[in-house]
Order: sequence, then structure tokens, then C-alpha cells
Amino acid sequence: MNKDKIFKLAKGFRGRAKNCIRIARERVEKALQYSYRDRRNKKRDMRSLWIQRINAGTRLHGVNYGNFMHGLMKENIQLNRKVLSEISMHEPHSFKALVDISRTAFPGNKSSVVPPRKEGLSIVL
Amino acid sequence: MASATHSLCASLASNCRVLHKQNPTFPSNSNLHLGFLSSSPSLSSRLSFSPVFSPRHTFHSLPKISNSEVEVADSEPVEAVVQSEPNGSDPESAEIVQASSEVPKREEVFAVVMIGSRQYIVFPGRFIYTQRLKGANVNDKVLLVGTRTTTYIGKPVVTNAVVHATVEEQGLDPKVIVFKYKKKKNYRRNIGHRQPNTRIRITSIAGYQDYPAVTLDS
Repeated sequence: MNKDKIFKLAKGFRGRAKNCIRIARERVEKALQYSYRDRRNKKRDMRSLWIQRINAGTRLHGVNYGNFMHGLMKENIQLNRKVLSEISMHEPHSFKALVDISRTAFPGNKSSVVPPRKEGLSIVL
Repeated sequence: MASATHSLCASLASNCRVLHKQNPTFPSNSNLHLGFLSSSPSLSSRLSFSPVFSPRHTFHSLPKISNSEVEVADSEPVEAVVQSEPNGSDPESAEIVQASSEVPKREEVFAVVMIGSRQYIVFPGRFIYTQRLKGANVNDKVLLVGTRTTTYIGKPVVTNAVVHATVEEQGLDPKVIVFKYKKKKNYRRNIGHRQPNTRIRITSIAGYQDYPAVTLDS
């Protein structure tokens, strides 16, 4: 029945929205609309997350994201950002190889990003 | 966020299970298209053949999953860094369980493959969910291959590298409810949708040796 389906979808809602059918119906409809919209937004958010991760990974090696991607495009390496972010997290040596390739292909990074200066105890380490 | 970073080239005895392929979603992000396969586990359509038949694969006559896992469990991680190709020679060496390192479920190779215009990071012995494929079982676009010690980066493709896989199951994604609603206009549409997908078990990664642009890492 429709009511049971609504209550099943309304699990975890706040207050009367999980118990009373009039309120639950409204909230469930809103939740389904949000899920429709967010299935499209998720793709955008994921891509921006991958770009942030790649940026962080490359800046450890003194290259910023823009120059890194430019170098990869020049070298005709067609890895996408999802895979690049995974490699930057879990396979640091492979990622360093990629960064080196990009750096030789597009050396525009001399003054842009400097690896962070070590201070205090980390100078010794 | 980047919690368990077991890197491939890090400790030798670590079980690099970072991608958690048993549930095919990555730890915190990505692969939004993959989902759990909840439908019937009947292995109805099982097509498996490998056109590149290397003489090393002696177990390859039966396309059973248990065989492919036996194949994978044969190759152990090599302690010395000198030997740069640890896999590929090991199916002959039978089940040698080394006392020093645990028996990993996968070898220390991985590859980046493009299937159905999506890219996946692939380990032998694990499965992935892809879009519904009709039958071909050899992935021809191998974009990058990495092992424990070396990385082969393709521009754009690593030549002669082949990833063999068998189709395990053709099922459906979990249902998504597509609900369209316009307010004050009495417009409501409630549609359920299950996208067909295919589960693929990766058996081996081969053929990437002698690729010119090898970069040697520590």
C-alpha cells in the first residue's frame, strides 16, 4: 500500500514526519525530489573532490594542479581525475612518476609552488 | 578522508586492501556508478575466453572462479626489490605459502583500464561492476600498469598489455526512484529504474613487460 511505502521511505526523519502520514508524505516527496537533484550534483561534487585531492598530491611535489594537468595533456596521458586522485592517495610512487613526467613536459612551475619549508624539528629529520 | 593510505610500494608484508573490492564502492568517494548487486546470484551467462593464450596459464581450461583464485594465490610478494617482475612466473611454482609474509588475495600488480568509457583501477582476483557488456572479455585499453616496483604509464595506452577477465554475472543495479514533482501544478511522476550492469572478475594482467617508458621507482 502506498502508506506503507511512504513510511518505509520516511525512516529516520525527524519528529512527526516519520509517524504521521500527512506530514510524512510531504517530507518524503521532498526527499525524493532532493535525491533526483542530487544524483546530478553528486557527479559535480565528486569531480571537485578529485581535483582537490590531486591538487594536494601534486603540491607536495612542487607542482600545482593546473600545470600538472597541462603537462599530462601534452603527454597524451588519458587518465581521468578519479583514477588520478586514487593513485595520488594509494600509490605515491606511481604518482610521483606522473608528476615528473608532467614536469618535464610542461616546466612552468619554478616559481609557482615551493614545497613547504621545514621548521623546527623537521629540519633535522 | 584519505584514512587508510596503504600504499602499494610501502611495506612488503601489508595486505593492501585499500579499495575494498569486496564491496565495490571505494572508501570515501568515487565510482558513483557502481552499486551492490542484490539480485539472484545465478551464474547464468558465463563467457570466458582469452585470445592471448600464454603457455604459462596451465589452469586456464575451466573458467571457474575457484580456479582463478587459486591462480592468484600462487604468486607471493617478493621480498627483494631487485626482482622487478614478481608475477607471471609464479603459476608454475604451485602453492608456496611463505612464512614471512601473509598470503595476499591479490598480486602486487594493478592496472588502470578503460571499460565502457569509464576508467577503473583493477586488481587481479577481484571483481568490478561495469556497464552491461555484450560479450567481449579482453580489455584492450590499458592505460597504466603498476607493480610493486615499477610503473608503466601509457601514452595513452600501454602497448601489448592485456587484462583478462571473465564475466561473472549480468545483473541489475539497486533500484533508484525517479520522482518528478512540480508544485501547485498537480504533476507527479513516480518511476523506478534499475540499470543493468555486469560483474567482471579480473583474472590476470599480462603483456606489459618490455614497454619502453618504464619508470623505475624505489
